Amino acid sequence: MTAAVDTGFSTESGSKRAERIRLFAQPLAVVLIVGVTMVWLFTRNLSDTERETLNGAALLKNLGDHLLVTLVVSVLVVAIAVPLGILVTRPFARWAAPVFLAIANIGQAAPALGVLVLFFLATGATGGLWVAAIPLTFYSLLPVLRNTMVGLDQVDPALVDAGRGIGMSGSSVLWRIEFPLAIPLILAGLRTSLVLAVGTATLVHFVDAGGFGLLIEAGYKLNLTRVLIAGVVLSVGLALIVDWLGAIAEQLLGPKGLR
Amino acid sequence: MKRRIKAVFGAALLAASLSACGLDINAAVPYQIEPASIQPVPSLQGVKVTVGSKDFTENIILGYMAEMALTAAGVDVVDLTDIKGSNSARQALLNGQIDMSWEYTGTGWINYQGNELPVPGGEKAQFDATKAADESKNGITWLDYSPLNDQYAFAVTDAYGQKNNLKTTTDMTNFLKQNPDQAVFCLETEFTSRQDGFPGALKKYGFPVTTIKNFGIGTIYSSIKSGTCNIGEVFTTDGRIKGLNLRILEDDKQTFPQYNASVTLRTEFLKQHPELRNVLEPVGKAMTNQQMIDLCKEVDIDGKSAAEVAKNWMVGKGFVKAS
Repeated sequence: MTAAVDTGFSTESGSKRAERIRLFAQPLAVVLIVGVTMVWLFTRNLSDTERETLNGAALLKNLGDHLLVTLVVSVLVVAIAVPLGILVTRPFARWAAPVFLAIANIGQAAPALGVLVLFFLATGATGGLWVAAIPLTFYSLLPVLRNTMVGLDQVDPALVDAGRGIGMSGSSVLWRIEFPLAIPLILAGLRTSLVLAVGTATLVHFVDAGGFGLLIEAGYKLNLTRVLIAGVVLSVGLALIVDWLGAIAEQLLGPKGLR
Repeated sequence: MKRRIKAVFGAALLAASLSACGLDINAAVPYQIEPASIQPVPSLQGVKVTVGSKDFTENIILGYMAEMALTAAGVDVVDLTDIKGSNSARQALLNGQIDMSWEYTGTGWINYQGNELPVPGGEKAQFDATKAADESKNGITWLDYSPLNDQYAFAVTDAYGQKNNLKTTTDMTNFLKQNPDQAVFCLETEFTSRQDGFPGALKKYGFPVTTIKNFGIGTIYSSIKSGTCNIGEVFTTDGRIKGLNLRILEDDKQTFPQYNASVTLRTEFLKQHPELRNVLEPVGKAMTNQQMIDLCKEVDIDGKSAAEVAKNWMVGKGFVKAS
């Protein structure tokens, strides 16, 4: 996730062909697994208790909440980590890099539930989308920050020199040479962050932000295996879809010459 | 020299890894317990009884109380309190790794017997049904139940309750019918799912619901306190009720299942030592919700140890003397 590869810019280990197959296979597999699970669930004779959580309206609401948290977290992560990563790789601010890396490391190392509930208590025990999204952002910041820094650092200094040599300004070198070359790594980091965010979003129901965690909690506490399975399968499906979208973004947004 | 250091290090490592296990074995009760109103029972001298408990404050306190009562009676107690999860504690009892633990009538009926709805008719009806079923199906005997009833309830802040004159859930219903905008509930997903939880209460009382906010059970107490919601779902013996100045609204129509605490033992074990009944039942009978809220607060909020709190209560009630 954070290693700078000197041979090229691909962050995948497999060949291009394998990657292309995966792009088709992954969403298909998700549709298949989630579809089969849903059909299995809704053809069963559900008890009243199970029906409180396993009904179309509730599931859609959970999906919406889960996606909303993930989306807000992703936007916040990009908005914070990418500018920060650019800033701390500039010569005048390089001394600050260890500081911010340490903060992001702490964020990731701290237990997500702990960060979530501490933030909830610190903000007056209100709960809701933002109370959930801000600590999760802190939690999933590191991959993007780290990859932005590594991505910018691994640009061949000769290319920067060449840019300066043909008369480009510092910011022009950044936006036209360094940043485009760093994009594949930044996107790979974002993909990791996104998957982290989807996974930890199963905890946000503790602070009134909903999501599939509600099913997991109800299923576990009430010993309702079918509810538990529904929560787990839907969370996994969502994580795979988000990962797939990340892969698509890597394909589409990376610099053309490097694809 | 080097070898000795190694040996010491190895022993320390072993001790550390052993103490990290889920079941911490403390051979004895952490206080010197002498008989008081609980007197030594000749036939129980030297009998080994392993006392287990679940992993939450109230059950651990009850576990220690039982241990102290048994110690005063002359039993050789092995402490296995704080077993993680109800199901593990139950399995330990069924398999004979522990000889007794405090159970709750509702848990026995709903979780262990697999019933979706509680027995109507109050505490005694629920106890009788649970007791009969567990005895015949699993060979577990339930001693007489304690007034301690760790059940669901709605709670508000004391200030809110005073201002709107709320004492029972019927008061709450009448108040909410006139002020539907106040019907903001903080609930846990388990409570909104189970039919004897929120759906049942809604049917029985018929109060209006404007907003439901879903929280974890641990975060509900502070959410009521902070005014994020006016009404929240709580457990009736939690120390935070006192710590955060919350007021429990009495379940006057008895919709929530009963969870009276009771000592459970394997029937064959009790048959071998029938005197255990007379040692343990008085302890449960002397316990009430209000006392347990205070004791849980001393542990969870004031930071005392469960054993110390249990000892003080047992001494205060005159069951045992401690030194």
